[in-house]
Amino acid sequence: MLEARNLRKEFGSLVATDDVSLRFGEEPGEMVFIVGPNGAGKTTLVNLLTGHLSPDEGAVVIHETDDDGETNERDITELEPRERVENGLVRSFQIVQVFEEMTVRENVRMAVLSQHGHKSSMFTHYNAHDEVEREVDELLDEFGLDGDADDTAEELPHGDRKLLDVAMSFGLDPTYLLLDEPTSGVGAREKERVINTVVEASNTQNVTTVTIEHDMDIVSEYADRLVALHQGRVYAEGDPSLLETDTDLRRVLLGVDE
Amino acid sequence: MSVADRLPLVVERDDGLRLRLLSGLEFDRRQLAIIAVTLVLLLLLPDIVSIVGLSFPFILKGLTFGIAALGVNLLLRHTQLVSFGHAAFFGAGAYATAVMASYGGVESGLLLLLGAALVGTLTAVFIGFLVAGHREIYFALLTLAFGQLMFAIVIGSQFFNFDDGLSVRVDGARASLLGIDRALGVGSAGYRVLLYYGILVILLGLLLLTWRIVNSPFGKTLDAIGQNDLRAEFIGIPVKRHIWTVFILSGLYGGIGGGLFALLQPHIRPQGTLHVLISGELLLMALVGGFQTILGPIIGGVIIIYLLDLARFQADYYNALAGIILVAVVLFFPQGLLGSTDQMRSGARQIREDPSVVGTWAKALGARAAGGVRNGIASTKHLLFGGD
Repeated sequence: MLEARNLRKEFGSLVATDDVSLRFGEEPGEMVFIVGPNGAGKTTLVNLLTGHLSPDEGAVVIHETDDDGETNERDITELEPRERVENGLVRSFQIVQVFEEMTVRENVRMAVLSQHGHKSSMFTHYNAHDEVEREVDELLDEFGLDGDADDTAEELPHGDRKLLDVAMSFGLDPTYLLLDEPTSGVGAREKERVINTVVEASNTQNVTTVTIEHDMDIVSEYADRLVALHQGRVYAEGDPSLLETDTDLRRVLLGVDE
Repeated sequence: MSVADRLPLVVERDDGLRLRLLSGLEFDRRQLAIIAVTLVLLLLLPDIVSIVGLSFPFILKGLTFGIAALGVNLLLRHTQLVSFGHAAFFGAGAYATAVMASYGGVESGLLLLLGAALVGTLTAVFIGFLVAGHREIYFALLTLAFGQLMFAIVIGSQFFNFDDGLSVRVDGARASLLGIDRALGVGSAGYRVLLYYGILVILLGLLLLTWRIVNSPFGKTLDAIGQNDLRAEFIGIPVKRHIWTVFILSGLYGGIGGGLFALLQPHIRPQGTLHVLISGELLLMALVGGFQTILGPIIGGVIIIYLLDLARFQADYYNALAGIILVAVVLFFPQGLLGSTDQMRSGARQIREDPSVVGTWAKALGARAAGGVRNGIASTKHLLFGGD
């Protein structure tokens, strides 16, 4: 389980994250959506969890259950992003972050090589690791990218770029996957394909996902649980049906006055 | 049993037999033929050069700089980092050799070269640690600063004999090349040929090493870092450590290049080994030869050194030549000579098919130049006399 413990982050006089405590993955593989208006602190929270920013106060903690059923707490607040990746905490970015001049296959391979611990190997050939190549093929197939495998990332249509970004994250074999608006900028018809692929991959690999999403239809359809942020604080937390029942939440999120 | 099973290094592929040099580096028959011809030409180079009347010492010197430029290109091509201070490692290698010979009386060329490689590498360990966390202009300026620092220390130090430099000879004798030169009793021309073969072996070894590194997972992480260091960090690549590592490797190449250069010389001086102009020339070599290729920096090294050394005796402002070459390459061959072979081939084909195309090109070039001059005049007017 991934825990945010009393996280606080200020930018000048703006409190972007204000005493946020949340738990993700108490049920391993749960799908949490973070919602909230612009400026609510959604991306800042993801940045704090993944080590892109360090908090002014509070801690990020991973709870692990060992073979004997004992639960151990590990404080990862001081770890670099890279070290968090090695602990199974992986993210994607709102703006697609891939290696633009590499092909789709090379992009995915880069992630899988890293996950298999080959990233510093100087005296092997990059495509000579059979288990890596097999996994790359599987991922390309799973994300519907096998047809574009030899195109460079910059040539891909936007929806496929989003999928490539997520495919790379899955190549890192995450326990917790934080997705910052995986469907932003994707056309209405493409949206369905992107989110379906992501959800299916998460379910197959039992990954706990924390997704920032603006499209409430997607949230109600796929969320196991939702977290609503407002002005840096946790405004509401619970079942996605809150979107229908909680009038205060509807007002804050959608500007709907009932 | 097939041929491939009986012979070492030979593997069978769909299109026939191939020679497998390293995992992933395989050559078919046509490529092997080209390589064989090239090797024979390289072995005969000392004779070819004297027949066609080229200067052998210039080419030798160019090869040693080319080796250092290989190291510059490791950073430039993959991590997309521009080092303006690589003379530091070339100079460290050259001075290590000279210090060992002048103060230690070391006569073995092999020992001198190992010392040069070691000192070049250690210098890069130190400088690399301090610059690896920086990118782009900050990286370029920091490397420049460290290069200048080394230059300043050497010209201000009695140990390094200020800007008069140090001798590389022990009691006037050249360094021993594994004793072969002594056994054969060669003169200065013969010594150069022997040293050339030594350089050739080292160069081929370094080219294979370069190929191995850039085609390894580590090499691919360098490309990843160059293209998007944020994403690289977030897929678990230790960005800073990898930049440091490749910086150290490029220092190794610089040290070896500098050490070999020193072995060619009776005497080395800071201006020819540590000066910031040398750093600029090393970058220029990578660009001219084609920084997107492995072999490019070597070709660039030979061409640049040859032209500069030739011009040194012919013109007063020979250093301007480097600037002119840089402008020409950036304008006409941004991919460098080796990187532009396709472009040149298609240009040659066009000329064969329709020679008048040259006139069209010349006109286009003239128009471009005229446009540039007009812009320049307009800007100057604007600067001098203010807006409209």
